[in-house]
Amino acid sequence: MSAKSNQSLIMSDAASRRHRMATLFGQSILFLITSLSTLTVFFIFYFILKDAIPFFKLEGFKEFFTSARWYPSGSPAEFGALPIFMGTGLVTLGAVVVAVPLGIAASVCLSDLLPFHIRQIVKPIIEILAAIPSVAYGFFALVVFAPMLQNHGGAILSAGTWMILGPIFALLVIVMGDLTIDKLRNKVKNPKLAGAIVFPILGILAFTFIYRLASHLSGVEISSGTNALNVAVILGIMALPTVVSVSEDALQAAGRELREGSYALGATRAETIIKTVIPASISGILAAVILGVMRAIGETMVVWMASGNAARLPDPWYNMLQPVRTLTATIAGDMGEADHVTGSSRFHVLFAMAFCLLAFSFIMNLASELIVKRSRKKLGK
Amino acid sequence: MRLETRKLLDKAFSGLGIIAIGVMAMALLLILTPIVVRGSKAFVFKGTIEFRRMMLEQFDRGDPDKFNQEAASTAAARAPVYLMMEEFEAEMKAMKSSERREYKAAFKEVEKSIETLLGPIPGERKPVLLRQQYGQTRWERTLVKLHEALYSEEWDYSNADAMGLLVEKPRVEQFIGTKLEPMFPYLEEHISDMMLPKTTFYWRFITDKSKDSHIFGGIWPEVLGTLYLTLGAMIFAIPMGVIAAIYLCEYAKEGRVVSFLRICISTLAGVPSIVFGLFGLAFFLNTIHVSNSKSVLAGSLTLSLLILPTIIRSSEEAILAVPRAYKEAALGLGAGRWHTVMSVILPASLPGILTGIVISMGRAAGETAPIIFTAAVSVGAPLKIWETLSQPTPALPWNIYNLCTEHEAVDEIRHVQYGMVFTLVAIVLLLNLFAILMRARISKKLRG
Repeated sequence: MSAKSNQSLIMSDAASRRHRMATLFGQSILFLITSLSTLTVFFIFYFILKDAIPFFKLEGFKEFFTSARWYPSGSPAEFGALPIFMGTGLVTLGAVVVAVPLGIAASVCLSDLLPFHIRQIVKPIIEILAAIPSVAYGFFALVVFAPMLQNHGGAILSAGTWMILGPIFALLVIVMGDLTIDKLRNKVKNPKLAGAIVFPILGILAFTFIYRLASHLSGVEISSGTNALNVAVILGIMALPTVVSVSEDALQAAGRELREGSYALGATRAETIIKTVIPASISGILAAVILGVMRAIGETMVVWMASGNAARLPDPWYNMLQPVRTLTATIAGDMGEADHVTGSSRFHVLFAMAFCLLAFSFIMNLASELIVKRSRKKLGK
Repeated sequence: MRLETRKLLDKAFSGLGIIAIGVMAMALLLILTPIVVRGSKAFVFKGTIEFRRMMLEQFDRGDPDKFNQEAASTAAARAPVYLMMEEFEAEMKAMKSSERREYKAAFKEVEKSIETLLGPIPGERKPVLLRQQYGQTRWERTLVKLHEALYSEEWDYSNADAMGLLVEKPRVEQFIGTKLEPMFPYLEEHISDMMLPKTTFYWRFITDKSKDSHIFGGIWPEVLGTLYLTLGAMIFAIPMGVIAAIYLCEYAKEGRVVSFLRICISTLAGVPSIVFGLFGLAFFLNTIHVSNSKSVLAGSLTLSLLILPTIIRSSEEAILAVPRAYKEAALGLGAGRWHTVMSVILPASLPGILTGIVISMGRAAGETAPIIFTAAVSVGAPLKIWETLSQPTPALPWNIYNLCTEHEAVDEIRHVQYGMVFTLVAIVLLLNLFAILMRARISKKLRG
């Protein structure tokens, strides 16, 4: 009995070899599937490039990148994609302006300021913002936001100015006033009186500034609600969750010891965050910004529906109130017409654009990976 | 710096952060409110007699006896309108030709607006187009159309500097002194008797076919198409993603190969969705020809690539979260590696993996750009399951785009558009809610 069970526990050479072979075989299958699913990215590069090259062969590089004339269906067809690149850049820049300050402030608030139970409520808000399908954002931009902008453009702009600049300037006035009084402390005898003079002066200055700006903006007439501003705001909101969650991770990763060390030296919370935590996690925050930019650049539906799709150079270049056209929207919109003429420049130019997008996102992605890796190494001692 | 100043700065800083969070919450509220409020009106609204007539004739739904009663009462209410129109026509025939010409165009417009409001005039030939066979089916549209019947719109260009000004003129002014004059006040007063608006709960909006390109009926082809596409994408993406995660976590040794694979995954995650669409077109359709035209299969394959990185990452996270002790115990009991993975690690990490799967399902359901060139068409019947291999399908995200930009009657079917957006957002948010709840349960379990 015991001999028998002993024998069944020890494998014969043949069985052991069989077992090893089976394990190896299984592992290589796993490896195969894994690499298949990851190497798709090479397939994507290959097939996009394969259809992009004929365009550059036919039309060359110069016109595509430098000409401002986009008439792909004209005869002769003109493929100057400069306005489209500019449109993409303008819209993305706008989205960054919306998403980055808001996103970083929100992530600081989430990681360091809010107590745990409130954080549990705020996090789902971010998740829901991230989960809403892009076409729903596009629908909102086109059906709700665009008519609003078109009919009450000036009012919305000035209200927005008040809402954004109002609280910020109020804070600024309080802080600046306090700092000035602090500076004057040694020179004047009565600091209370100084306060009574300094605060109103600063307050009135700030108020007039905002008032002038807002009343200037309220006179603006927006001829079309589907414009760069509309898209930039919506894209900014869409990029927010990415920026918030990635930079919050970075802030968290800075660790407790750093914060506690700073507190122990007598710093306030704001000083700790600004002077210690943010510098320590700056690379992670940078990565968050990059990912936010990528989200905004790669977005299709919102820009297709609500950007106006006019391939014109904005005039002046920062004019957000004109319709623009982006790379993604051009690909989505033109493929329907170009599909019938497979093989022509009209078809391949879209792949050339896709390749530009792909190359840009690849470089950005790699950069953010490197940044994150370096920061991990730095923090990991 | 003074201590008070520093404290003040600290408070100001906190204030900024809270403003940012507030703005974010407000943005969410601003976007979701119109979608939910107006979207639910596709399901609950005031339906007129024309809605019930359409339902009875097109979908064979409703109580015929009750409908006949209602129809009789509305017909009685409408009779004076038709009578007045007939009398006016007779009056017009008796006029001098120059006078008649004056009235004719205006009367034609009135006649047309009455037709759009109440449906075809009894006794005339039945129109071919389905949308012309019925009057206004919804009360709020009825009121809009009533206004159009009562007032004519004219553009005032008298001020050359400004844009043209829209002026509304009561149509009744054109017919003063004729037999048609009393019709306008009658129409305004008795509109609810003619239409009998009743609060209707139309939950079958989701499961009804669309009639006459979404003028009537529901959104079933789109919902079904979205389901097919999402499930199809999951069929491909789940096994690939979970296996890749298992390999990366349990088998692969950290080294050049693995870090290379990881870079590939993160690059894949960063590829813009429209590029996936182009790739699907160039590879699945134009190179390996999975089907002759766009198809659900090609769309699912494309979508599965899009969500693969999400699934791999979340599965990896879930597997890494399994306590080491579990694995060591299993190995200590003599289980092989594969055995350990299958019987200990996978079951323990299943809730986490599921969370990732559910979230990426939401993503797949809502993506539009990858299916534009690979799977989506604007109009189509609901597909049978085997037709998904070769046929394109309508899908919610694509049709939302299509209906609000390319449909010929964009303003007439706002409720359908909102209903579609609401349905899509509801699907996606429910999936995410499920994931959030599941994650809360997991973290509770891990803590306790």
